Amino acid sequence: MAEITDRAKDSEDSKQTTIDIGDGAAIPTKKDVGLFTAWRIAFFGAIAIIVYLTLTKPDPYREIVAFVPDGILVTFQVTVESILLALVIGLFTGLGRVSSNRIINGIASLYVEVIRGIPLLVQLFYIYYALGRLVHVPDITSAVIAMSICYGAYMGEIFRAGIQSISKGQMEAARSLGMTSSQTMYHVILPQAVKTILPPIGNEFVALLKDSSLVSILAVSDLLRRGREYAAWTFSYFETYTIIALIYLIITLFFSKLVSVMEEKISVNK
Amino acid sequence: MSTNERHKMVELRDVVKYFGQLKALDKISLDVYDGEKVVIIGPSGSGKSTLLRSINKLEEINAGRIIVDGMDINDSETDINKVREEVGMVFQSFNVFPHKTVIGNLSLAQVVVRKRSKAEAKEISVELLKKVGILEKANEYPTKLSGGQQQRVAIARALAMQPKIMLFDEPTSALDPEMIGEVLDVMVTLAKEGMTMVVVSHEMGFAREVADRIIFMDEGRILEEASTEDFFANPTHERTKQFLSQIL
Repeated sequence: MAEITDRAKDSEDSKQTTIDIGDGAAIPTKKDVGLFTAWRIAFFGAIAIIVYLTLTKPDPYREIVAFVPDGILVTFQVTVESILLALVIGLFTGLGRVSSNRIINGIASLYVEVIRGIPLLVQLFYIYYALGRLVHVPDITSAVIAMSICYGAYMGEIFRAGIQSISKGQMEAARSLGMTSSQTMYHVILPQAVKTILPPIGNEFVALLKDSSLVSILAVSDLLRRGREYAAWTFSYFETYTIIALIYLIITLFFSKLVSVMEEKISVNK
Repeated sequence: MSTNERHKMVELRDVVKYFGQLKALDKISLDVYDGEKVVIIGPSGSGKSTLLRSINKLEEINAGRIIVDGMDINDSETDINKVREEVGMVFQSFNVFPHKTVIGNLSLAQVVVRKRSKAEAKEISVELLKKVGILEKANEYPTKLSGGQQQRVAIARALAMQPKIMLFDEPTSALDPEMIGEVLDVMVTLAKEGMTMVVVSHEMGFAREVADRIIFMDEGRILEEASTEDFFANPTHERTKQFLSQIL
């Protein structure tokens, strides 16, 4: 309760500390009327444009719209699998970052520093080809692993901040009752930290969704790659990428909204 | 004192604790016997909370020895969690668990540490909530409770472990004046039942009523240690007199 960021002050009554990891789309809050309208215009506008184009110019737009949905599924698959794996990696990294054990703490910190210091695209290439030398796994699996290793580092920082946002008295009270440090973490600290952690994890999900387009360079047939395939085949680059961009926009805006609704629910429940 | 057979619950020998350059505890020696009620007073920064917190190792000491119920708590062989099971602690800032209901607060460590069944833990919790007078709040979350009620939950939570000794770290300092009484009442009841208690507090009325012994600390040292009667009747040390005149 000590540090309340500006965002928390905006949403009234929210005593919960919020962690801002500034990424993802501009998520509208209820008070933010201007941004809310911007969200509506963008979201419904994008849908309207796609509908309009497919109706008025079936060639090539209808064909494009029919061709890319397979890619949307792959994009979702990569995103969901990566975020789940990144959550697990992030939890352990976060625990490592607050550990008093120097070796564990050192390893976790090193991981975070190294990963955050290398561009995602470079990491994707690196992990993809490094994995390829060691084991033979499907392209999509190594793409998911690469994305998770990268996002795990960011998740780790979210978990660390969430754990540290819980007052020291909670830990002391639990330890005074004879609970071990891991029992304290599991029964007292993490359940409370979750409320602080969920909104930034939502933002990471949206960011990951967008970054998942990078896996298209790793022979994974996601939304962007399907678009590239179609464009290379028909030479309608502009038309294809128009549709691709609009679809990404709709998906991203949809999930951003979902995250902000979830965030509101949490602060109400608090 | 060593001639009688009373069991020593806590024994501190030449305990030294530094916070950086600051000597928070300066060669403190103190014995607390079974069933005894000791009240520690002193100006802020005198080291009284540090002393209390070192008894269950929330503060690591730099030198000396602390024996709790026969266990040397700074021995690497000692499982500190085993010691803490027997030592109840009540904090100035309550530190109830906000994500658990009142009954959940009381039950958690019983189930996790004492390995009681949920039903058994609940039964014990209900009894304790009756005792501290907030049974009707059993299923509420602590945020719905007043400070006095939260502190009573915290006391009941510690008691649920059936500790051999209770430590109170300024339990009423964070409370509004009208809520101090309800917490002190619980503590008086506890004292009358024979609980061994070490209490850091400025509540002189409480000290007079229940304390067997009063300890006055200043600058990390025990300046004066006397039975309650003597302490108030003839304080020997100048610093003690001065402090008492301010606080009474």
